[in-house]
Amino acid sequence: MSARYGFVIDLDRCTGCGACMVACAAENNVPPAAPRATPRTGLTPMLVRKVSNGMDGIARREVFIPIACMHCGNETPCVSVCPQQAVEVDKATGIVMQMPQRCLGCRYCMTACPYHARYFNWWDPAWPTGMEKSLNPAVAVRMRGVVEKCNMCHGRLHSAMEKAAAAGRREIDPADYVPACAEACPTGAITFGNLADDKDPVSHAAHSPDAFRLLAKLDTEPKVYFKSQQAWVRGLADRESDRPSEVQNG
Amino acid sequence: MADLVVLDRRFIARGVERSSALRFMFWLVPWVILVGLGIYAAALCLFYGLNQTNMDNRFAFGMWIYLDLGMIALGAGAFFTGFLVYILKQEDLKPILNSAVVVGLICYSGAVAVLMVDVGQPLRAWFTFWHPNTHSMLTEVTFCITCYLFVLILEYLPVLLRNRQLRKVPSFLVFEHQLHKLVPVLAGLGAFLSFFHQGSLGGLYGVLRGRPFAFRQGFAIWPSTFFLFIISAMAVGPSFLILVTATAEAVTGRKLVQSTVFRKLGRISGILLGVYVALKAIDTLVWLNVTSRAVGFAPWDFYAYKPFGSALLFIEILPLGLLPVFLLTLPMTSKRRGWVLCGAALACSGILLNRFVLTVQTLALPTLPFDEYLQYIPSWQEVATFLGVIAYGVILYSLSYRYLPMFGQSKGVDKNVPVG
Amino acid sequence: MFPWVDGFHWSPNHIIFLTLFAGVVLTIASTIARAVWRTSTDFQTHRATDMCWQLNFKELPEAERTCRHELAGRVSHRTCPNAFDCRHCAQYAEFAALPARGGALTGGVSFSNELLYHRGHTWVRPEEDGTCTVGLDQLADHMIGHPDSVQLPANGTGIETSGVAWRMTKNGHEISVRAPMDGTVVATGGNADGWYLRVRPTKPGDLRHLLRGAEVSGWLAAELDRLQVQFSSADAPVCMADGGTLMPELMDAMPAADWDAVLDATFLEG
Repeated sequence: MSARYGFVIDLDRCTGCGACMVACAAENNVPPAAPRATPRTGLTPMLVRKVSNGMDGIARREVFIPIACMHCGNETPCVSVCPQQAVEVDKATGIVMQMPQRCLGCRYCMTACPYHARYFNWWDPAWPTGMEKSLNPAVAVRMRGVVEKCNMCHGRLHSAMEKAAAAGRREIDPADYVPACAEACPTGAITFGNLADDKDPVSHAAHSPDAFRLLAKLDTEPKVYFKSQQAWVRGLADRESDRPSEVQNG
Repeated sequence: MADLVVLDRRFIARGVERSSALRFMFWLVPWVILVGLGIYAAALCLFYGLNQTNMDNRFAFGMWIYLDLGMIALGAGAFFTGFLVYILKQEDLKPILNSAVVVGLICYSGAVAVLMVDVGQPLRAWFTFWHPNTHSMLTEVTFCITCYLFVLILEYLPVLLRNRQLRKVPSFLVFEHQLHKLVPVLAGLGAFLSFFHQGSLGGLYGVLRGRPFAFRQGFAIWPSTFFLFIISAMAVGPSFLILVTATAEAVTGRKLVQSTVFRKLGRISGILLGVYVALKAIDTLVWLNVTSRAVGFAPWDFYAYKPFGSALLFIEILPLGLLPVFLLTLPMTSKRRGWVLCGAALACSGILLNRFVLTVQTLALPTLPFDEYLQYIPSWQEVATFLGVIAYGVILYSLSYRYLPMFGQSKGVDKNVPVG
Repeated sequence: MFPWVDGFHWSPNHIIFLTLFAGVVLTIASTIARAVWRTSTDFQTHRATDMCWQLNFKELPEAERTCRHELAGRVSHRTCPNAFDCRHCAQYAEFAALPARGGALTGGVSFSNELLYHRGHTWVRPEEDGTCTVGLDQLADHMIGHPDSVQLPANGTGIETSGVAWRMTKNGHEISVRAPMDGTVVATGGNADGWYLRVRPTKPGDLRHLLRGAEVSGWLAAELDRLQVQFSSADAPVCMADGGTLMPELMDAMPAADWDAVLDATFLEG
């Protein structure tokens, strides 16, 4: 039952609405930002970034890129550097799982991640009175001083597995396991499925010629594919050493 | 008050000259204040969380990690001098051995203290020992530095127990004697541990393939920075010892070691620095033209962002790399104390710059094609904590100098006969 | 870390790493253990006293380690290489055969030709019944005067040469008087009796290491010179005085002197 869960995100459909970010925060009990938090110290396991093609006026193009953990499959950078194995790759699903209860907060994984997909709890989480009723009981709350990231809504996978077991099935129903971001996306830009399953449309989309992965040259084998018919967007995959770098506002 | 003066004298070895108790107290006062400030800043971070610093999700490592790496490189004099004296039998360096151990103890205990504040959950530090990840360089660093700190404490113990009053307790004196006989074992162990953790600190960055600025090829699992860090640490350790001892001589107004010791340490430092600069030059060329290009980075990409321009690379290799090599090894300059001190200072600065570039510049640079260049200025809490550690070092060194035989000063005629 | 802990793998990587770590920890632990073990053995086999003495002797300045034969005028210059233990000195017989000239002791302190003196300022008088009486010499006695307290060993206690024989306190200073010989205490006296211990020697007749006759005057002269230097202030020149006679109750008479240094040097504390 070895699956490789992954995403295909159609950048031509992403409007930058941010519903995925909100859904992720709600599902994963991400606390409201502390009063002194900045964009660089906030907790956003899913973060939508706005990227432009660097030109002005009529030639200017912009795209929104939702970035979360890429769940790298090859020599996962964060897994190999964590000094106490607080993150591991689940062989059954390919999900890179962070264990905040084992995390020391050394932040080495954060320096290792080239996608900046990991976030540190710089503050103790605090919810305004009454808001704690909106917490998701299926997901543990983290304390300050530990690193967290997208866990591919692992809690939902567990619920799907329990449901299948209750019905006497060994395999989950794919419709039962959809991460919050994919579920919330109003345009259907974020799609989720099993990349190892040939019959899965997501697996098919991942192999389309318009699909690309960020920093493919690093050979981390991310499980998040992006897709765009615009060539300049596909050009964002990697740096080319013969092309001058473009400083963009993320 | 007079009782304190008598008590103070009682702990100073008989026949040894030390400044008056009052003067010593005045000397300690500013350092104690700094330590107090540092403790306060650290307490704020431990109590309120690391939001007290200016580190963030993109600059996950900041000034503390940079200074940790710097301190550990500078403290390499302890293991290296021990190695030279006990394994390579360079007896003429014996007079500086005790003070080298003190400097090493200060650097390592200070680094560990800062680390305990730097991590988000210090009480979980033992998790690394319980669930070690043998693929991670940081696991290796943790294990080695913890063990080495123990070794340093064990090497410091005989020096401590030789205090005039402590040695009057027979069990202390006999234990000190027996422990001192085993110091060559500790020196060998210290060299073994230091080899690995100095290297692994370089390996911390060298394995980050997500950070092409830091990533290097190497041998087997060890990137080239592993070996470069070891050699640079061995090169800078003796230089830092020279600087610390010269400072102590200036502050106390006494000559503490023969100038031949300085000259020898300087030459060793210079030669190793020369090897290091040569290897680093080769490594830089490979890194810029082969390793980084393979993932789409051209050399100018790393230096396009000011103030981290290519000047930094040239400063590191030439005025702070090659120049001290010449100053410390050429007969014309290596025999003159002033030039040796100058060379030592340049060498230490060069290594500190190297550690800075690898820790801070690595994180400032973009990884994704649409990343921006980042700035980071440490907060006062970070600066205060670090200054507190330096002050702690000065206090420990001062106390050791006043009450312990740091420079082998017996009460005899020859002030430089090594004790024990 | 251990096989039963979650995350353990039997991979070569893991095994090498943990073996090395275990090796390091064992080396550190065994070093501490060996030092502790050897220390406790030293105490059990009664080697500790002699070891402490040897280590403290090395700390004495060269001027305070002068060989008795130089003090006796038999040889021009010699530093003792044996921690004052002439019983184990290979050259003792050779030097002892030379004529002694003695030092220029012109009053100052008196001593007796019938007593044998230890460098720690105690004397020994062999008695007819085979025991020895041990007392404090006049220099030490005049220096301390009336002690505030005396802690004498109980009858039956063993003493070792250059170990601690008895302790005294005076004006807040603790003085450990070094034993001049090996033996067992059979009786104790006190400051008023003029003697402190009566000792049955371990090896009768083994008192070669004690100074006698002309050696004593040379030694005491050197001691008085040392005291003069220690009592004078650091910047005062050495004066050409005639020495005078050492006053009794010196510690009471000169409270401002650096008694820690004087007592340490007098009683060979290092």
